[in-house]
Amino acid sequence: MNQADVSKLVSRLRVRVAAKPRRLSNPQGPEGRMNKLRATVSGIIKYERVELNSNLADEARGYTERLISEAIRYGDSDPNMMEMADYWLEEKQLVHKLFKVLVPRFENSSLSYTKIYRCPGIIRPDFPSLVIELRGNPFPPLVKDLSTNRNLLHNVLLDAAKKEFRKQQYEIIAKGSAGQARETDRNISEESTKPVGDSSDSTDAESPEKVTPQSEKNT
Amino acid sequence: MDLLRLGVRKFHSTPSCNHIIKMSRLRVVDNSAIGKEAMAEGRPPKVIHVYTKTGVGTIGDKVLMAIKGEKKKGILVGVKKHQPANIPKFDTNNVVLIDDSGTPLGTRIHAPVPHLLRTILKERTIAKKCDYSKLIAIAPRFV
Amino acid sequence: MLLRNIIQRSLTKVRVNVQLQLERRNATVASPVTLDENVVRPEAKELSKSDQKFNSLQQRFVYPEFLPNPTLEWRNPIREKLERIDMMRRRSQVDLPEFYVGSILAVTSSTQHAVSKQTRFLGICIKREGCGLRASFVLRNVIDHIGIEIRYFLYDPKILKLDVIKLEKRLDDELYYLRDALPEYSTFPEDMEPEILPDGMPIPINTTKVVMKPRPWYARWERTHFQGINRELMMTHVSEKMKMQIPLHEKPWEKYDLMKQYRSTIPEEEQKDIFAEVDSELHKLELLRKKQKRKRAFVKPLKSS
Repeated sequence: MNQADVSKLVSRLRVRVAAKPRRLSNPQGPEGRMNKLRATVSGIIKYERVELNSNLADEARGYTERLISEAIRYGDSDPNMMEMADYWLEEKQLVHKLFKVLVPRFENSSLSYTKIYRCPGIIRPDFPSLVIELRGNPFPPLVKDLSTNRNLLHNVLLDAAKKEFRKQQYEIIAKGSAGQARETDRNISEESTKPVGDSSDSTDAESPEKVTPQSEKNT
Repeated sequence: MDLLRLGVRKFHSTPSCNHIIKMSRLRVVDNSAIGKEAMAEGRPPKVIHVYTKTGVGTIGDKVLMAIKGEKKKGILVGVKKHQPANIPKFDTNNVVLIDDSGTPLGTRIHAPVPHLLRTILKERTIAKKCDYSKLIAIAPRFV
Repeated sequence: MLLRNIIQRSLTKVRVNVQLQLERRNATVASPVTLDENVVRPEAKELSKSDQKFNSLQQRFVYPEFLPNPTLEWRNPIREKLERIDMMRRRSQVDLPEFYVGSILAVTSSTQHAVSKQTRFLGICIKREGCGLRASFVLRNVIDHIGIEIRYFLYDPKILKLDVIKLEKRLDDELYYLRDALPEYSTFPEDMEPEILPDGMPIPINTTKVVMKPRPWYARWERTHFQGINRELMMTHVSEKMKMQIPLHEKPWEKYDLMKQYRSTIPEEEQKDIFAEVDSELHKLELLRKKQKRKRAFVKPLKSS
């Protein structure tokens, strides 16, 4: 029988939030738990990629996401936000990093601010730990980019669609006059950006093409 | 460590429910001589039996009390414990003293009484045995 | 079928709402704005954006029960939507005006136990809780020197009339401490005259600091941080040992617990969707209420001969 707290507005997080906080047992009780989380969040902001055990990583992820979303929401001019950042970030330069590096980086993104990977643990490989990283970090990616694999279904479909589109264009050239043909020729060269007379299949196939790095490689 | 220092006996893990059970102290809200005296002395009546199956009394229940060395019966006309919606919860546990036939010992009640009491006492009235209509009649104000 | 109907209806409602909001961009929801400035931290980004968004979000102070329970296990979007529809239906039947904790209300409700089948209870609202159809409030008054509290469900069909006698706020979100305060702070005459707040006036905040009775108390008030308690006078009733225990029970880190905050509230995006859904109907009801209020405020001038 509790009402939602309306005194403060928060932005929705882009990660899944567990219904209940995880138990991080600590001899100092809830205060110790917060201290541990504080150190972890500071570490994540500082190093941008950290390997942790699963409980702590999951819990710290929420706090990191919330801190960044609050920073984006209120900016560095808000004294309460500054107090919050001072509490969560143990080093002074990290506060600068939060407002001057991370806020511009994530301001217009529609994705979550952190990413989490499962990996074999250091001590016992069968006991997995988690790697948590900020998006847009300078390190090489942890997983291979498989989007260029020609055997992936969407790539197969894209190839087929391109082939068909090209065929259609050539048919038009064959039928049409010389002037029109010149125009369509230009269209063929720019086909990846905007098709002219296309079937429904080709429009569907066009959209993912822009996203995949394959198109960048081709050009 | 803290617990030991504070003394384990004073440690409660649950809040009080304000239940009316045996040994609870009540407040007499009528003008019967014995009730008035007991309240004035600062020795309010103590429950020695609750006439319910659960042993916990609420609005309209009959209780047996020890008051000034005597045994008297009473009807609870307002209780402190948590109540459902639309039923008043009082700051004190109020009782009206009655005799065995259900007639109040006093002639006036100086506290508001819940409307619900009217229905409950009507149900519990048995003709020629216990008649609570007098109690309802002297209630000054219903909430 | 039912689901599809609901979704369609909500979609059309949203479309209508957007238009309405654009029209009434200049309409004033005066009261909560001041609260926001006083109590809530200034939301710099919020203010810079359009008024329209600001207005619809301000509804959360007036109608907090429209927001669902934030406990994640209990969320159920369909049930919440159905509840909101039922709440609007009830609101079209009975006038449930804006009120806050600290306002003085009089509830006329039907009861089978009374001779006249109706009762009226006047008191100060000491608590508002519950979400959706289960929203409730607790009224407190001292009658014949005995404190009485009654909980009412806001959308209970038994409620015949809900009069706001005095519309004001207190410094705290709950006033359970009035149980242990001197009785004059919760004593209100039954025949209190309703005070009509002029249009466009901010809701006044009553800054009374109550004086507590000596112990025993209902709760450990010395460990709380309620603004409405006169702390110096309260401390005179507190033993040295109790004073020593106060810092042991303080939780200064909870202020910084970002996830706890998140779990106890509904995100802004969701709040906007919810209020966009009910906004037009609430606005209509508000206009109706204003019209009636004007009628009441108008006094027929006496003929002077």
